[in-house]
Amino acid sequence: MKGLFGVSAQYRDQVEALREPLYRLAYSWCHDAGLADDLVQETLLRALDRGAQLNDAQRLKAWLCAILANCLKDHFRRARPLEPLDEDMPAHGATPEAASASSQLAARVRAEIERLPLGQRQAVTLVDLEGFSYAEVGEILEVPIGTVMSRLCRAREALRERLMEFATAQNNKIRSIR
Amino acid sequence: MNEEREVSQEMQNAFVDGQLDAADWTALVERMGSDEALRRRVCELRTLKDMTRSAYACVHPRRAAAAANRWGWTRVAGVALVFALAGWLGHGSLQRAPAVAELHGVAADRILVHVASSRGEVVDSALQEVEDYLRAARAAGREVQVEIVANNAGMDILRADTSAYARRLERLRAAYPNLTYVACNQTADRLRDRGVVVSLLPGVHVAPTALDEIVKRMQQGWVYIRA
Repeated sequence: MKGLFGVSAQYRDQVEALREPLYRLAYSWCHDAGLADDLVQETLLRALDRGAQLNDAQRLKAWLCAILANCLKDHFRRARPLEPLDEDMPAHGATPEAASASSQLAARVRAEIERLPLGQRQAVTLVDLEGFSYAEVGEILEVPIGTVMSRLCRAREALRERLMEFATAQNNKIRSIR
Repeated sequence: MNEEREVSQEMQNAFVDGQLDAADWTALVERMGSDEALRRRVCELRTLKDMTRSAYACVHPRRAAAAANRWGWTRVAGVALVFALAGWLGHGSLQRAPAVAELHGVAADRILVHVASSRGEVVDSALQEVEDYLRAARAAGREVQVEIVANNAGMDILRADTSAYARRLERLRAAYPNLTYVACNQTADRLRDRGVVVSLLPGVHVAPTALDEIVKRMQQGWVYIRA
């Protein structure tokens, strides 16, 4: 094991660099800081338990993201065992009205992403925050690539309708201040 | 790509996400030269993508402990990779943490049993295996140490107000001083956030996170077993 620690040293920075993206993804999926902490911890614990499933070290990030997605799924199953999972499930928490009161674009964007059904939220954040390809997102979420594309389309269409006007108004406000 | 047909939303998204092959990418760029509506749509999609990225740029783990424990987490990375790379490198003996049902076959003298569930069959099995292991070790004259680490739903077994195992845990601890219980403070914080008053059973230790404790013990040579 000592030897493996030695070998793993070259990967420590790589994995350390994944901690923040994992947390950011977890947060973007649940918008609950405490739950995001728990999900990241559970993800790493499961990684300890299931290390043998990783056959390609190059896929470490996608592998951890897939575990994270399953941790969230399990969390919702425990919390709401009788409700359907998957893309039709809306998020809980802040309303867009509450966020818009803060008049901050970032808060408003997060609130609108939080309103998206879970499947759409995961697709758009995996692509936009972490730069995964559609094929990788399909593997992480265990859905066909066509489903990834349709979820992305619906997510962005909803965000476009809700945010573009707000973003334009914000930009005009910034220009007038300048 | 047929010039006469409208460019689908899927194609537009794939363009801004860099998912088109060279031929489709070129065709779409050419089409944008003469299609102002398409240009505007693509521009909006790019703006949305940037807005999404910016919206989460300032999101970082909230807990001071997590930030202060950077090196602790780096150790996790190392340990996680011990298992991850074990599979990758083909070291069969490290490929998977043993299940609690395999505890009787574990030759190590220091065992950490991780309980993340409060399901009766999981907890019953874990406690039974731990007790059998401790009894067998005592009979053989072996000095062993066992630590039960609980988090998430598993924390219920160590809480005074929720544990259905309080007597059994106390009896075990009295019989085997080399058995310790450790609760995850991150889980406790989550409960407190929800207004729960967290009261632990007597003698239960607290670790910043279950992960920290597991990593610490593994680095000390303990065997990790997930119940």
